[in-house]
Amino acid sequence: MSGEDLAFRSAIELAGLVRTKQASPVELVRLYLERIDRLDGRLRAYIAVSRDEALAAARQAEAALMAGQPCGPLHGVPFAVKDQFDVKGLPTTMGSRVPKAALAVADATVVARLRAAGAVLLGKLNLTEFALGGTREFPFGQPCNPWNVEHDPGGSSSGSGIATAAALCAFTLGEDTGGSVRSPAAWCGVVGVRPTWGRVSRAGVFPLSWSMDAAGPLSRTVRDSALVLSVIAGRDDRDPTTSRRPVPDHLPALITDVSGLRLGVVRELTSGPETHPEVRAAVETAARRLATLGATVEDVSLPLIPLAGAVFMALADSEGAGLHARWLRDRPGDYDAGTRRRLLSAGLLPATLVHQASRARALIRRQVLDALSEHDALLAPMAHTAAPPIAVGRAPITSRADVGPRFFTRRCYGSPASLAGVPALSVPCGFTGGGLPIGLQVIGRPFEEATTLRVAHAYEQASEWQHRRPPV
Amino acid sequence: MTELTPEQVRALAAAGGLPMSDDDVAEVTHRVNAFVEALAPLAGLPLEAVEPLPVAPDTD
Repeated sequence: MSGEDLAFRSAIELAGLVRTKQASPVELVRLYLERIDRLDGRLRAYIAVSRDEALAAARQAEAALMAGQPCGPLHGVPFAVKDQFDVKGLPTTMGSRVPKAALAVADATVVARLRAAGAVLLGKLNLTEFALGGTREFPFGQPCNPWNVEHDPGGSSSGSGIATAAALCAFTLGEDTGGSVRSPAAWCGVVGVRPTWGRVSRAGVFPLSWSMDAAGPLSRTVRDSALVLSVIAGRDDRDPTTSRRPVPDHLPALITDVSGLRLGVVRELTSGPETHPEVRAAVETAARRLATLGATVEDVSLPLIPLAGAVFMALADSEGAGLHARWLRDRPGDYDAGTRRRLLSAGLLPATLVHQASRARALIRRQVLDALSEHDALLAPMAHTAAPPIAVGRAPITSRADVGPRFFTRRCYGSPASLAGVPALSVPCGFTGGGLPIGLQVIGRPFEEATTLRVAHAYEQASEWQHRRPPV
Repeated sequence: MTELTPEQVRALAAAGGLPMSDDDVAEVTHRVNAFVEALAPLAGLPLEAVEPLPVAPDTD
């Protein structure tokens, strides 16, 4: 097996190779470090690579294996996390020059749980500044889409999408407020899961919007995301908003039979005027494929969806403006211009308007939950287009008419699940004529991640997209 | 709501203690006006009876 073939193996396959001593943790870490050295100068997925620490952890993992000690489900598997998660001994930069943070004194709970499961941390990954989106100048380098480096990899978990797609590690963690895991997953051609709000601890994760932030995995297969989610989910006393519900083992639920499931294709997102024809065609083809696999697939309408992007931004950005008030006053010049102007704008919104948005959120949530009471899951595009050129996102805003298409429209696709607090994921469902990936979004009922994963897994197994590799 | 001018945006920011450079004010004005325009349809929704709970209660 070539090094490249090994690097692109799934995390579950790599764990199996380690367990059966066909691959060593040290070999895997060295393999990914070599790929990072060779490829990341252009892709800019990583902010920090913990070379020595990763090799030391891999040697420990290898010694434990040789000594016959019990091994976790991810023993010896290299991973990386968005630089929004605390890692003991490292700064949490949030992709910004602003925090002059002390080194983290403890791992984020999700990082600690992955290490306890045997995974080996390789480093911390690039992101749009403060996980907001709309960054124009990235302090740690412009992240690039591995399918076409002139194109946007998506955000805010940009490095997580890139590193997963380009096999710069086995899997990654991202944080999703309005689509920040699912968007880079869709645009980079990998799987990304946003769990139910409260399913996964946010302790040690720098906040953007307390009522919507959700940590989740990005991986090259649905099975990998299912495993990682099972490891990181569950009650955490460091985060009082986490649910006490037991966490299922998601892997046994991943059967390829979806007969008996009722799926709704969200009309406003799939066939709305903003959705690119190639995206629409890919999602409709995927829905038909799921029907041939036994699901009942029908049209569903969520009429408030066109308002979701603006409602989401009014709420999330207002929370962000409050969070950043002191830094904005004291050190405005340390922010990227796009971030600063976005936060300043939110800080000027009338309180009555934000209050209306919070009530509208409850209405949108009711529409989503009503649709889910009649359907096991909803299907929609993850984004209205495939990844646009990087230059599009860096262009200045010169009129009011620029704002809607750049910000509100795009967020209509990812934010409904965030506003409703329900689980959602993106799974690859095709490519544009230009060779850029397209993501199918599967939205599920609260705490029913297992159903969304089952739908995505069934589709993935019936398609060939997961076998394609980016041309890097 | 009428469209805000850059001067009004600058005055609002000053009242709120937010820094607003000459470079920022034009874009921030566009953004605030776009927000107000995009959220205008909320006035037509039946929001009076809706509780603005940020998350759905976990009933289990």
